[in-house]
Amino acid sequence: MDWCVTASVHLLLFKKMTSFTFRKSCLIVLLTAALWACSSSEDKTTDPTDVQETNRKAMLTNLADNIIIPSYANFKTKLDAMISKSDAFIAKPESAQLTEFRQAWADAYTEWQKVEIFEFGPGETYVIRNYFNIYPANATGITADIANASPNLEVPASYDRQGFPALDYLINGVGTDDASIIKFYSGTDGAKRLAHIKRLTSRMSSLLSKVTTDWNGSARETFVTKTGLDISSSTSLMVNAIVLHYERYIRSGKFGIPSGAMLNGVPAPEKVEGFYKKDLSLTLAKTAQQAYVDFFNGKSVKTGTEGLALKTYLNGLGAKDSATGKTLTEIINSQFDSSKKKLDALKPNLYEEVKTNNQAMKDTYTEMQKSVRMLKVDMTSAMSITITYTDNDGD
Amino acid sequence: MIRILQKPVSAAPLAIFRIAFGAMLFLSTVRFWSKGWIEELYIKPKYFFPFYGLEFIKPLGEYTYLLFAVCAISALFVAFGFLYKMASVSLFLSFTYIELIDKSTYLNHYYFVSVVCFMLIFLPAHVFFSVDAYRSKKIMADKIPAWCALSLQILVGILYFYAGIAKLNSDWLLEALPLKIWLPARNDMPVIGFLFHYKWIPFVFSWFGCLYDLTIPFLLAYKKTRLFAFAAVVIFHGLTAVLFPIGLFPYIMIVTALIFFSGDFHLKIVKAISGVFRWNSTFINSGKTFHFSESSNAALLAFFSVLLLIQMILPFRYLLYPGELFWTEEGYRFSWRVMLMEKAGYTQFQVQDDSGKSLIINNNLFLTTLQEKMMSTQPDMILQYAHILRDYYANHGFSNPKIYVDSYVALNGRLGKPLVSPDVNLAEQTETFQHKIWITPLNDEIKGF
Repeated sequence: MDWCVTASVHLLLFKKMTSFTFRKSCLIVLLTAALWACSSSEDKTTDPTDVQETNRKAMLTNLADNIIIPSYANFKTKLDAMISKSDAFIAKPESAQLTEFRQAWADAYTEWQKVEIFEFGPGETYVIRNYFNIYPANATGITADIANASPNLEVPASYDRQGFPALDYLINGVGTDDASIIKFYSGTDGAKRLAHIKRLTSRMSSLLSKVTTDWNGSARETFVTKTGLDISSSTSLMVNAIVLHYERYIRSGKFGIPSGAMLNGVPAPEKVEGFYKKDLSLTLAKTAQQAYVDFFNGKSVKTGTEGLALKTYLNGLGAKDSATGKTLTEIINSQFDSSKKKLDALKPNLYEEVKTNNQAMKDTYTEMQKSVRMLKVDMTSAMSITITYTDNDGD
Repeated sequence: MIRILQKPVSAAPLAIFRIAFGAMLFLSTVRFWSKGWIEELYIKPKYFFPFYGLEFIKPLGEYTYLLFAVCAISALFVAFGFLYKMASVSLFLSFTYIELIDKSTYLNHYYFVSVVCFMLIFLPAHVFFSVDAYRSKKIMADKIPAWCALSLQILVGILYFYAGIAKLNSDWLLEALPLKIWLPARNDMPVIGFLFHYKWIPFVFSWFGCLYDLTIPFLLAYKKTRLFAFAAVVIFHGLTAVLFPIGLFPYIMIVTALIFFSGDFHLKIVKAISGVFRWNSTFINSGKTFHFSESSNAALLAFFSVLLLIQMILPFRYLLYPGELFWTEEGYRFSWRVMLMEKAGYTQFQVQDDSGKSLIINNNLFLTTLQEKMMSTQPDMILQYAHILRDYYANHGFSNPKIYVDSYVALNGRLGKPLVSPDVNLAEQTETFQHKIWITPLNDEIKGF
């Protein structure tokens, strides 16, 4: 059908050439017909899922509906639960409430790892990662904000004074034991501090609802309809965002920087994620890694089955290592497995690991670096996507 | 033979070519400017990648705008045939200077434009249908020696034919690479997009593209097939224009192909334009023939022959280098090789010194995104960048810095691998025309040219 349209366009073009003979026109028609015949005969032999695999609209729709939007919904549930525990603690700052708040914080922080990857579309519009998870927390800044009647939490300087790392400091880091932490929240100063916790959680809640409102509204439509591969297309923005995520926020942030693998070999254990809680850091890293693998493979958050995603798209393109015949997605997945093995060998407290077992941290970084290369070079090259972000390695 | 070359023929084809080519270059320059690329590509970068041996060509900072203005005005003057002698020289110089500032912006087509501009300096493209001819009856003529337009036809022919030869390789013909990678990216296009879901389509495009390049110069030269060939030119370049982000070059190639048409054809265009403006018919029928002096005619003929011969020999210089051309890119430029590679790379540089100090470089502190992208896949640029780093860190607390690179490059769908040996200190290596022994071999053969 579509070919007929092109054919008539061709003929129109040729009509303008006055001396174009009838015989030549016939030739063109014949050629076009032959091509059309080929394409329709191919229709019968081509597995329809084959075409589906390289259909970006289908891929984007699946990612939006079965992974991105439900992941945000799951995160919202956990964040809301955390906020209600936090409110309970604010109302009654005692040991039992603190314990429940901490648990809810840890659950929400862990769930956050599954949505931090979506720093494209609304996530990027509101740069939600910058307000939710820039660490290490700036304790001095947080203290200053508590004293301030209305701190500005919407500027880059405030990134490390809010979100999960700031809460980590406020519920795990302001005292050496529970008693001293609870004491921190008593009296007039304590009231100010509790008010600041409320300020931080309210900000998280309102930011997340902006993002989810957009995704549930027009952003989804924009996402699934910008099907090109130019630099402003959904696929290109998404691939750039997730490659950056793996490179800077999983590889560098969680391992490269704390272990010193990236900065002159000087370890910086205080730069681990969840520094004050300490024993949550590995869980966060593992969750982020697994969420990444699941997103790459298109594992539905609702059903747990794999659907159209980067994996099927790359398979549909036939991306493979010509030397071994292995598909690129097999190679990438087996590299993800290697990183997972390194993660599994680590103890839950990455702060301690940097201090006592840093080679294992560096090995994890090195293993992840291999994935970065594959994602950044092999995957984008196979997809014909240009990497447009600038990475900050070495800063 | 000499008599055929000297035969006076209509000056109209060369004049129309001058107008169309000048106008297209004017448009390109304006487009370049309006997109903010002057700032982006020639002012914003802190460092540049000059060509080996042409390091004296330096970026001009804010004056780059002036350079572009000169280029645009010269192109317009050339189109109008106004102060042609001067304008053609300044067009060639300004355009070529711009292209030589930074290797990151190198395109075969720019090289083609430079060569054409160079030839135009010597060709009597202004004796007919030009402001100069209008102002001075002395230079006005409506016939010029046949070799003038012929030399441009030969250059265009070389461009196509060599582009076709370059496609005679196993990646292009047997794997349909890189079209196999590029075409599915356009599968959401209206009307023809669905085709790119099919695995055989890139093969059709590859083979037709190759056949097109190899035959089009001959089909354009031969009168009976010319119109068909021109339609093919329009469709082919029209298709590349919608499929790939290659700016105005498809259109430049379409108007360039007009040079193959007969004097009568071009005269019709000239008459149509004159008719609109009601110009005096003596303006286009001076009845005079342009002659070079006998000595300059012989010199120019010899000179142009050498120039065209160079274009035919230069592309084969890659045979002097060992290793796979697409991988090492030794002898790749200035060879009419277009759209042959999907190459992507990732490079991480490390600077060390004897005191044990070591640092991983953030490339963005030194290079723009485009420069980094280009540098990451081209060994000579990797070396240039290593020297930029060496010189910078020598002044910033590193004594006698050593530079190492961890590189990872993927070529035409092959899995990525190191392009440069990671334990070679690039600070010590020097640029030459010799083979760079520190390039890691591809260990795969792309058969053919």
